[in-house]
Amino acid sequence: MEHVRGLAFYTKLYRKILVQDLKTKMSYRADFIISTIGMIMTNLSGFVTFLILFRNFPTINGWDYYHMLFLYGFSLVALTPVQCFFDNNWNLRFMVYSGDFIKYCFRPVNVFFYFISEVFDVKGLGQLAFGIGTLVYSWIHIGLPVSFMIILKLIVFLITASLFMIALMNAAAATCFWIKNSGYVMVIMFRFKDFAKYPASIFSGIFKVIFTFVIPIAFVAYYPSLVILDPDNVPLLSLLSPVLGILFFYLSYKFWMLGVRKYDFTGS
Amino acid sequence: MEDYALVMKDVCKDFKVLNRHEGLKGSIQDLFSRDYKTISAVKDVSLNVKRGEIIGYLGPNGAGKSTTIKMMTGVLEPTSGEILVNGKVPYKNRTENCENIGVVFGQRSQLWWSLPLIESFKLLRDIYMVPKNEYNDMIELYKSLVDIEPIINKPVRQMSLGQRTLSDILAAFLHNPAIVFLDEPTIGLDVSMKDKIRSLIKGLNKEKNTTVILTTHDMGDVDALCKRIVIIDKGTKIYDNDIEHLKSYFGSYRTLHMRLADDTWESMLIDEKETDIMDVIMRKQKETKIKDIRLEEISTEEVIKKIYEGDAA
Amino acid sequence: MNPRKLLALTRAGIMESLQFRLGTFVTLFANLIYLVLVYYLWKAIYASSGVDVVNGMTFTDTMIYLILATSLFNFLEMFVVWDMSRSIQSGKIILDLLKPMKFRRYTFWSYSGSHVVSFFLTFLPTFVVVMIITHGAIHMGLNLIWFVIATVFALLINFNIEMLVATVCLYTESTWGINIVKETIVLLLSGASIPIAFFPDKLKTVVEYMPFRGVYDIPLTILLQKNGSDTLEGLLPMFLFQLIWIVILTAAGTLFWNYSVKKITVNGG
Ligand SMILES: Nc1ncnc2c1ncn2[C@@H]1O[C@H](COP(=O)(O)OP(=O)(O)OP(=O)(O)O)[C@@H](O)[C@H]1O
Ligand SMILES: [Mg+2]
Repeated sequence: MEHVRGLAFYTKLYRKILVQDLKTKMSYRADFIISTIGMIMTNLSGFVTFLILFRNFPTINGWDYYHMLFLYGFSLVALTPVQCFFDNNWNLRFMVYSGDFIKYCFRPVNVFFYFISEVFDVKGLGQLAFGIGTLVYSWIHIGLPVSFMIILKLIVFLITASLFMIALMNAAAATCFWIKNSGYVMVIMFRFKDFAKYPASIFSGIFKVIFTFVIPIAFVAYYPSLVILDPDNVPLLSLLSPVLGILFFYLSYKFWMLGVRKYDFTGS
Repeated sequence: MEDYALVMKDVCKDFKVLNRHEGLKGSIQDLFSRDYKTISAVKDVSLNVKRGEIIGYLGPNGAGKSTTIKMMTGVLEPTSGEILVNGKVPYKNRTENCENIGVVFGQRSQLWWSLPLIESFKLLRDIYMVPKNEYNDMIELYKSLVDIEPIINKPVRQMSLGQRTLSDILAAFLHNPAIVFLDEPTIGLDVSMKDKIRSLIKGLNKEKNTTVILTTHDMGDVDALCKRIVIIDKGTKIYDNDIEHLKSYFGSYRTLHMRLADDTWESMLIDEKETDIMDVIMRKQKETKIKDIRLEEISTEEVIKKIYEGDAA
Repeated sequence: MNPRKLLALTRAGIMESLQFRLGTFVTLFANLIYLVLVYYLWKAIYASSGVDVVNGMTFTDTMIYLILATSLFNFLEMFVVWDMSRSIQSGKIILDLLKPMKFRRYTFWSYSGSHVVSFFLTFLPTFVVVMIITHGAIHMGLNLIWFVIATVFALLINFNIEMLVATVCLYTESTWGINIVKETIVLLLSGASIPIAFFPDKLKTVVEYMPFRGVYDIPLTILLQKNGSDTLEGLLPMFLFQLIWIVILTAAGTLFWNYSVKKITVNGG
């Protein structure tokens, strides 16, 4: 007997795992509180850094305070899915190194799905709230219009941006299949994303290409948000970003799966 | 062909590893070295396993047992050769293959670490799409074979090693797979837990006609479960037949136990073709008083030891 | 304590780090990319401001400061918190506690090897690149020696902070949460994300007294010969500041550890 496992199957399974996971999370209240405090601290410190910067320098590359704040909020929201749904990537390195990773390969489901589904992290939600707050605040101060269309656009392009972020972290995590001790790759990739909140127009030459197409941090906030901020002359790359986002996500997934295939499962 | 649960033909597996040098200077050299060597973990292994068989897959440490199992489960791709599990190539159809196999890897739990066992079972039921009645039947069967009450509501993280292994074995059989791979399932367990696990495996094999491939270093497992054994050493298959056949090979061997004057037992393995047992006893009696004597056929343990040591023809 | 034994740990650490050769090169490469990001950002920031000197820092100063802060950060990065929580969760910590050596000391010397490796493979190359692109803006003299001393002190402060935070792992499994709190506090308040010179005065005064300044700001200030650190009168208070914090943190860390280790519950079996 063979089963076909389609989208409906995976959605249902994910929901069930999620419910179980949340139930156990509730029983570790201290951990939950500490993680939440951690999340708030990171956001606050990011915000303080931002304020200090603007206290010394009123504009950056023609972007004023509120526009920069918009970018900042945008990048925070775009980061939420990676925090909530793909957090297990941080454990990949240890699993691979110790050989425990093998357990994900014995089930008749997609390995990537099975691995990722194991952890859902609620703490990302705090960041979402923070990001939305920032976004709304700057939205009002810039005086952007509010309409159904523009909100829809915002949502589409936020999802786009988060696809790029997920792709970056997936790829960074997957390096551990080739590089033992690659923890640093993820750490630095996570730090690269801090630069997503600045306009990508600061880059020039070859690095502009690199940060757009190789390590696409320009897509984590800058290009997608231009659709909202500057609707009259949206660059082509912004319009293409949803397609590119899906492509990057797909490539990162393939890269991850390639790692699983190449990995030679040390340990008995 | 269709009648076999598992077929392996001339399977080889090589690992490429860096030739490491010794010492601090060596480590710095290694940083830039391209000096690789190949380890042949499995060499030309062929094997046919019938449905419902329990095979003891034996060999000394580093023989290549785990590597073979990884290939059978589709996790590793053989360097050359052919494997068919339930008539399919495992590494090419990993997902389909996984539907029909169960795996337990020694001390690594595959269950959700913080979930109660019963919740893990329910998730597995969904993953394998086990129909409700079959699932319930299986749980009933489990209940008749072992006492699962004390563990069923416990999170895996809070279980002892023995309970965890038991849970993992139960989980491996849950979807009624055609074939189950057990890599050292009794490692680190106490005598009574070993017993429990052996009778569980035996019971499940009998009830469901599940094929079982078992690696172990404990000959008690072999005696309790396997009729046929396969032995590999340094990656090469050196024996594949009934265990009785092997024992008759060493048919002229006896283990002689003697209780001496100070009430200690002394044991020795004697080949009757070469040495006369009475001679040995008489010689010993000249040194010390012998209070008691027992003569036994060679144990599996000793047979295997002789084979590992290279005494097999 | 026998120094031979300690150096053996260092040596083992060096060899272990070198095992992961690809990882070593990737780290170096990633750092260079990070360096590029910092360069472009601050170039844009200074270009938009229209002035050359902000709060006593030129573009070159800021660049050198931030890049070296990052590479100091990598050099000091220990993963103690991660490793500790792993070994607590797996129960492996028992083995470490049984080593015939004080646990804190054992940990410190075990990590020392990886510090040596990352000094040569990440800090030094970054330093050279900075020298090249700034056309030798860093003075090459006695300040280098003072810098090395200050860095060793920084390493001790950092280790103590790490150990303090890692000890908290004995009470909770939320490694991520604890680690991120530590990381953000250290990065912000030590001046690794924005030079302390840019901080508003009130914040600056608070930060002045905190130990974090001793980790990145002091070594870099000394290297760049800012704030009068080119004279002995300027140097001494900085070293003194670091030393006082080393003593305080070591004492606090030891007490906290000894108290906590009695309470641990060990997982696994
Ligand atoms: N991922 C790997 N990379 C390199 N060599 C490996 C790898 N996995 C196994 N080996 C080598 O292959 C050989 C067989 O290993 P394997 O784990 O299959 O042995 P085993 O028979 O299971 O031994 P044990 O009884 O100790 O579990 C060993 O020499 C081992 O060092
Ligand atoms: Mg093995």
